[in-house]
This record gives sequence, C-alpha cells and structure tokens, in this order.
Amino acid sequence: MVQLNNEAREIAVKVVYYGPALSGKTTNLQALYQKIDPAVRGRLMTLDTKDDRTLFFDMMPVFFRTASGVKVKLKLYTVPGQVIHESTRRIVLQGTDAIAFVADSRRSEAASTLAYWNNMLKNMEANGLDPQAVPIVIQLNKKDLPEARGEEDLADLRRVVQSPVVPAVAIRGEGVVETFWTLLSLCYRNLDRTLRLADHWQLGEQEFLSRIFDHVDRRGTRLPGGEAGPR
Amino acid sequence: MSLAPSFLQQSLPLGDLLDLRAFADVCQSFAELYRVGLKVFDESGNKLVDVKVGNADFCGYIWQKAAGREQCVATVGRVKSEAVPEEPRPVAVHCFSGCHYVVQPVMYEGDAIGRVVFGPFVPDELTALPASLTSIAPDFDVALAAGYMQKIRRVPQATAEKILKHFMDLLDVMVFTGHKNIIAAKLHIEAVQESFRELAEKNKQLEESYARLKELDRLKSNFLATMSHELRTPLTSVIGYSEMMLEGLGGPLTAEQREYLGIIMEKGENLLQLITSILDISKIEAGRVRLVLSEVDVGQLLRDAVATILPLARKKGLKVTCEPGGAPRLQADREKLRQCLVNLASNAVKFTPAGGTLAVSSRTLPDERVALDVADTGIGISDEHLSRVFDVFYQVDGSTTREYGGAGLGLAIVKSFVEAHGGEVAVASRAGQGSTFSVILPVRPRLEPAVTPVDPTPAVGPRTP
Repeated sequence: MVQLNNEAREIAVKVVYYGPALSGKTTNLQALYQKIDPAVRGRLMTLDTKDDRTLFFDMMPVFFRTASGVKVKLKLYTVPGQVIHESTRRIVLQGTDAIAFVADSRRSEAASTLAYWNNMLKNMEANGLDPQAVPIVIQLNKKDLPEARGEEDLADLRRVVQSPVVPAVAIRGEGVVETFWTLLSLCYRNLDRTLRLADHWQLGEQEFLSRIFDHVDRRGTRLPGGEAGPR
Repeated sequence: MSLAPSFLQQSLPLGDLLDLRAFADVCQSFAELYRVGLKVFDESGNKLVDVKVGNADFCGYIWQKAAGREQCVATVGRVKSEAVPEEPRPVAVHCFSGCHYVVQPVMYEGDAIGRVVFGPFVPDELTALPASLTSIAPDFDVALAAGYMQKIRRVPQATAEKILKHFMDLLDVMVFTGHKNIIAAKLHIEAVQESFRELAEKNKQLEESYARLKELDRLKSNFLATMSHELRTPLTSVIGYSEMMLEGLGGPLTAEQREYLGIIMEKGENLLQLITSILDISKIEAGRVRLVLSEVDVGQLLRDAVATILPLARKKGLKVTCEPGGAPRLQADREKLRQCLVNLASNAVKFTPAGGTLAVSSRTLPDERVALDVADTGIGISDEHLSRVFDVFYQVDGSTTREYGGAGLGLAIVKSFVEAHGGEVAVASRAGQGSTFSVILPVRPRLEPAVTPVDPTPAVGPRTP
C-alpha cells in the first residue's frame, strides 16, 4: 500500500513487475535503468547468484520532488519467476500499488503465462490486495520472436482481461518505457482516486508523469511528447 | 491469511547500512591520507564517525577562551545540523577561525540519510588569522595560534570538494552494498519464515483432516462392533431353534425337512463365524482386545485346531498331518491362539485343491521362541500380494467373480492376535506350489497379564495411501 508521510510530505509508491521465469522482468528494469537519468533514480539492485536467475529479485528506486515540495519515491521491484520462490514472490508483492505483468508472447508460453497470472491473483489475495483495485498492465514481451502471438490474438486477450496490453521487445528496449508510462498513469489515477493527490498534495497527473518521464530517454518510443498515454 | 509487514517497506538508518567498525577504519585511513578531519552523522544527527586530524592544538587553544568556546559550539552546530539542500553537492561552512568545512548530505534512493563533514582545513587564500578569531579575547596569542594553524592542512576549496566527492562515491558504494546485504539476508529470513508459515498451515489442515478420518474410522469400528453384536443375537436364535427342530422337539420331521434344516443350520453357522470375525476385527481396531493368559500345551493346541478343520479337509479329499514336535508349554491366550491356527488351517483347506496335503507342526526357535507352521500344497500366493495378505479386507483375488469366498479378515485377525502376544507372523509361498504360514511366539510374552489392551494399529497392517 502506498505510504504517506504527511509530516515529511512524502509519498512512497511500490510498483512490481510480475511474471513467469525468463519472461523479461529483469530485462525491463535494466532497460529502464539505462533510459532513466541518474538524477531521478538510484542504482539497480539485483540479488542473484551464479547458478540461478533472479534468486531473489531486482529493485530500483525512482524519486522526484514536486513543485509544491512533496517528495515522491517509487520503488520498482521484480519478483523471482522461478516456481520455488513462491514465498519471496508473495513478500515482494506485499503492499504493491501497481503491477506490470510481463508475459512471454510466444504461443508455447501461453500455459505458463496463464498459470502465473492465476498465481499472481492468488498471491494478491494472500496479501489482501484486490485485483480489481490494483492497476495492472500486461506487457506482451518478445514480440520479435517468430512464435509470438499476432494482433488478432491480442484483440482476443483484450476482450478477456480489462488490463491494458502493451507489446514489447524488452531486450531491445522496445515497449519498456510505454509499459512504464501506462502503468504509472494508471497508478496515478488510482492513487488520486483514493488519496486525492491533486487536491491534497497539489500533484496532478501531468506533473507526476513529467517529473519522471522528462528524465527518461524516450527516443524511439510511441509516447507523444509526454502529453498523454500511448493510446 | 495476511502477511506480517515486510522490512522492504521500512527505511533503514545509515548506521544500520554500514559496518560501523570497518567504516570507522576506512574513515581513519582516508582522513590520515588527506590530513583532514572527517565526521559522519546519520539523519537524526547521531555521530557515527569522528576523525580529528591536525586541529587539536588549534581548536584546543580557542576552546580555552570563553568567547572562542561559544563560537566553536555554534560552528559545530552548523556543520552538524545546518539545513543543506538534499542534493549530492558539497556546501562550504566557514568557521570564525578562518578554517573551512565542506558538508554534503548522504543521498540514498532520493533520501538524505545522513551527512559527511570534511574539515576543518585552511583555505588556500587565507593569509592571516581573521579578526573574528583574534578579537575573541584580549590576551589572544596570535603567533601561538598561527603556529598551531600550521598543523592544519592548507588546501584550496575546490580540491577539498573533490576529495569529499571521492569519499562520497566510496560511501555510496558502501551504503549500496550494505543495503543489498541486509536485504538479501532479511529477505532470506522472511522467505524462510513465510515458507514455514505456509507449511505450518498446511500441516494444520492435514492434522485436522487426519483427526477427522481417525474419528470416522473409530465410528466405523464402533458401528461394526455394535452391529455384529446385534446381528449375532437373533442369529443364535435361528441356529438354536433349527437345532431344536432337528432334535425333534417340534415334532417329527420328514427327511426333506431335516435336510433343509441342516442347510439352515450350516449356513447360519457360517454367518455366525463371519460376524464373529467382524466383531473381532472391530474390537482389535477399537483397541479393545484383552488377552487372557494361561499355560498352553502346544501339542494340544495343534490337535484341537486340526480336529476342527478335519471334517472339512476330508470332505475336500485332503491329507492332513499334525506333528506337535517337542514344543514347550506357552504362556498365551489359548482361545485366541486356537482361533489363529483354525483361521490359518481353514485358509489352507480353502486354497488347496483335492489330493493336496496340509501339515500343521511346531518348531522350537532360539531366544525362547516357538514357531507354529501351517503348510499346504495349494495355489500359493504371488510375490506382489505376499506383503499385503495380512491387511484387513485384503483379498488376493478382489474381483466379484472370485473363486474363493471370505471376508478378508482371517489373516488380519491372526496377525493382530499374534502381535498382541508379542509375536510375529510370517509367510513363505510360491504361486502354484503352496504356502507356509508361521506364527512365531515368545514362550513367555512380556506383557502385563490378562488386561493388556492391544494397540489397534498392527491389525491394519501397512496401509497403502
């Protein structure tokens, strides 16, 4: 859950990248790390071992101060995708304010993607998070691979889940910023609804996004000059 | 279900992110290298490190003067807590003595979690002691103070800032590494705790369902025991009245009537036997078996058992031998042992085709034990079934069209009764060539006499899940 500190005028927001092993969660964070100006982000912390990909998780802080002097701290996390790290996944998911679900768009991965989607819903429930209330963006990653599902499949998916779907090739950095933008935009609207960010904290959506995305290398993205979302 | 709040949600003070002892060593060597003092404070103003280099005499001299002391305290207060912008940039703080400090907040993840104070040093451009210092006392010894100041490093402001930047870079890595280590360790613990919590929850569920099953099992055994008893009572009457009619108490009977009554009696006896077995097994399962121990003559026991099944065996055309051997007298429950042998011998008769042989014998074993063997030349048991024949209700041929009758209770009862004596059962068999069942008993069972309740579990045998 978002942490508010009225006295220090601070808002701490938690964003989690969820998804099956090898779907590209860490790749997303690495791409963002490359694209975000160090002035508004910290180091990318990766807890892993030689033998195991993402034994624990990745974490990267993004922060800014608003014109009215409110400090906003976002922490981006990835959960470990490996099945055995179920308890770590649950701990990392705790109190999350927005989720990017990174899916491998290849047909062969459809079953495991669905399994992790359900796993995520289950772990959200275990954490007392309402999947209807927490903004979720689905990133269909690895769109460049021959086996990837096409647009007609996407239309299919969009009918089934309400969450926005963003295609991506995270390894080339494509779609990563768009995913992040869509996620933060939804996240802001959700927080504004519950916490009245605009009224009580003088923080509008445009400022929220531009404070971050003005420091993001948006070359080659489909984002129109930071005015609105990608669609 | 709800998880305890994770430490990931908490922010840590600078002191917790660093190994303070090792960090103090680093600061010491850093300060000595550049010959400038170094102080590190956390966010709340706690001093974590304080290395003084070169300024002890100079500051000590100023401290002796009341006005100097007062202004010194003010300077120290400023470097420690004067507000500085939360940016990774150094800020110069000037001391009234002419010395300078550079101060920089320790920024981590967008937060100022402490500050580093580098100094005092003498700025390059300072040529003479300032009036603000020399005027603190009328007896101020300028020459002495200037001499002491020689011991403080003279360095251009820009260089001092560069040195500080270098230190801040090092500190940043140390803080990051410390944070990473703490997260790795704590998350590991949290993950283990979470896994433990999950397992404990599952265990609890399993225990509950196990308890429920056990209770159901107990109810089933109770039901069987009660029902068997209730069935036996009217059946005894059926048999008794049939017997009375056969004896002519109800008047003369035709040959046909006698035959029919004979069949009623025989089937009634079969039914009674079956019900008795069920009663036995349910008693065993409910843990209500009591042994009544007495001196038992093994030879007599074997002969009794053989006599019981002999009519049946003859009718089937089997050859029966009985070799009691020289077995000693046993301390045992005579009736239960007899039932064991009868059960085994009846099975042997049942599964041995005409012309076969049935041998009942005893052997003396080492360690004061006796084996009672019942061997036949019947159809035998294949290996896959051998280990399970003592299980309750187990039938080698479980099909509804099976050739041999029975409830699957006989051997389970044998096993339970024998184990109640502290003995064991064994079976050797080869399909098509016959079986040998052995009851191995201690001559003197190590039991409390007469009233020992029997652990019901052996009757069930190794259950497969």
